[in-house]
Amino acid sequence: MNRKYSRKKLQEAGQGYFFMSPTLFVLACFILGPIFYAVFLSFHNVRLLGETAYNFVGFANYERVFDDRRALIALWNTFKYVIIVVPSQTILAIILAATLNAGMKGEKFFRIVYFLPTLTSSAVLTLIFMWMYNREGLINFGLESIGLPTYDFIGDPNIALTAIMIMNIWATAPFFMVIYLAALQDIPDSLYEAAELDGAGPIRKFWSITVPHLKPITSFVVIMGIIGTFQLFDQSYIFSGGSGGPDNSTLTVVLLIYQYAFKSLDTMGYATAIAFMLAIVILVATLLQRKFSKEENLY
Amino acid sequence: MKKKWMVSFSAMALLAGGALAGCSSDNGGGDSSSGDEGSKTEITLAGWGGNPTEQDLLQQTLDDFEEQNPDIDVKLEVIADQYMDVMKTRLIGGEGPDVFYLDAFEAPALIETGVLEPLDDYVTEEFDVEDFETPLLEAFQQDGVTYGFPKDYSTLALFYNKTMFEEAGVEVPTTWEEMMEVSEALTGDGVYGYGVAPELARQYFVAESLGGSVVEDNMANFGSDEVIEALQPIIDQHNVAKTSAQPSEVGASSGGDMFGQQRAAMVLEGNWNIPYLEETFPELEYGTAEVPTINGEKGTMAFTVSYVMNAASEKKEASWKLIEYLTGKEGMETWTSKGFALPTRKSVAEKLGYADDELRGSLVAGAEYATVWSNGTNLPIITNNFNNQFVSAFLGDRPLDEALKEAEEQANSEIEANN
Repeated sequence: MNRKYSRKKLQEAGQGYFFMSPTLFVLACFILGPIFYAVFLSFHNVRLLGETAYNFVGFANYERVFDDRRALIALWNTFKYVIIVVPSQTILAIILAATLNAGMKGEKFFRIVYFLPTLTSSAVLTLIFMWMYNREGLINFGLESIGLPTYDFIGDPNIALTAIMIMNIWATAPFFMVIYLAALQDIPDSLYEAAELDGAGPIRKFWSITVPHLKPITSFVVIMGIIGTFQLFDQSYIFSGGSGGPDNSTLTVVLLIYQYAFKSLDTMGYATAIAFMLAIVILVATLLQRKFSKEENLY
Repeated sequence: MKKKWMVSFSAMALLAGGALAGCSSDNGGGDSSSGDEGSKTEITLAGWGGNPTEQDLLQQTLDDFEEQNPDIDVKLEVIADQYMDVMKTRLIGGEGPDVFYLDAFEAPALIETGVLEPLDDYVTEEFDVEDFETPLLEAFQQDGVTYGFPKDYSTLALFYNKTMFEEAGVEVPTTWEEMMEVSEALTGDGVYGYGVAPELARQYFVAESLGGSVVEDNMANFGSDEVIEALQPIIDQHNVAKTSAQPSEVGASSGGDMFGQQRAAMVLEGNWNIPYLEETFPELEYGTAEVPTINGEKGTMAFTVSYVMNAASEKKEASWKLIEYLTGKEGMETWTSKGFALPTRKSVAEKLGYADDELRGSLVAGAEYATVWSNGTNLPIITNNFNNQFVSAFLGDRPLDEALKEAEEQANSEIEANN
């Protein structure tokens, strides 16, 4: 191949890059730069405060994760959280969307009501929930009035993570519900009509038409759910006042990264190593999900 | 054509240059040149916010300082949240304030990094270092070098609900055993005798009351038998006698809140609790007493904060003048005059007469024998692990010795991994 770059072509390319330069610059400065710097940091023992010092340690930071009991607890908590929250919120979102799409009375009203939690910032939501979860709060009051046992949701290590799960499922499901709702309205009515002629009932129609048609959307929702739940930070941070307590029960990977990066000095390298590992875990989980669903036409 | 290229090229260079400047942290020089106009030096003072009255007091102290030093301008920066995170990040970026607050708890680690300016060379005879309460000053010293002067402090004292004590017909306890007894009489329908905070910051002096030490050679040592034995009563009172509770168990947000809501008849709280109760629960009838003795020994915690100088500051002389004034006799008197904080200088404390104050007297009395909340560079890690496991023992999920031994191991492995 004998491709010659003419002066004109070069000039055109140059102009193209010139117009892109602000974006490229921002990307390099705020996205690529930090990523490479983080990778660099993860192989070093770093002292940033005072006299900056980088001490190359190879994979020591990565190995340290396996000796660190708190890191393993954080991983386990995060894993539990993902495994429970992602399916729950996806199923809840489908059910909510399907009921809203069934054409019942006051559909618009319920759509607004269901969507409301999504509009609140997660920090505010957490504070409101903490108030409801309070020993003397609304939820315990409700449990008590129907004769059920009450819980110390915030102070009891066995329940604290579940409390966050419930809160998060309730808060994120409506967002995915809206996505499902849009997809549901794209399914042609003729399919349902044909099924009806063949004598299919509502449940059969849901399983044989609605669910398969929603597959690409489900794949999207699950991936977004996995990414979102692996990154759980703000809720457990506010819930535990930054400590991950009680008894490490709300310690998540991102919270641990935060603690190592900012709370203790000289552990920035270790924090970036955990962060990098988290990124790999999310990547693998996403790839697995894509492989299983084999639906790539959406993105 | 050529001209066009020139224009676009220079535009690009300008753009890149501007963005680069924004990226780098090197434009700190800009601030210092502001001193050129006139002969005024502007220095920044950073701290966390207090309540409005406290903020007014600080402003008044700063105004007095500026009046006496017309060539210095103090810019006050209030960092509302995550103070130490913000401060560390700014110090790393070379954008630290000239003078800032530093909690004794964080001081040893920060001193070790070398970002703080040693202050001994600035001190004059007139400043009178001897006047400071020694333990409070020692929290900011390392190897005999002073890095900060404590601006104020608070100790813990026993806050008791007068009405509830009268109804139960009991006396204010002076020993820990008496406290357990009266707790019994004071506990009833949703009300607990003692509101306890199961965390190291509050239990440190209890933990060491039998001769054990929580920290030894900068390593966690709270798994030792003496410490476990000393802390066992706290656990037993909660799980066996059931006469104490932590705030979250009664739906309160803090010890002060629990006490104010009358869900606890006694709490160990500091000076900050007095204005809080005054504002939030003005009806409450309460008194303070010294913390009950354990084994006949007096003990309590002291929390203190100092002013420190950024070693990278370019206006050290002016910064020192500010610290000198704020922690000096005159400035401290203004700052502590309303009783939001207690003066760390003996002469100021005497002058303001807090020792004879009905509510603050017992807090001041504690200063002599208090354990200062600060111990070595690894205290944050040690505290974190202690709190995590102590709570599970407190809630009765596992025995105290097992919980603390595991926490100690974890803390020490973390400390070792950091070195």
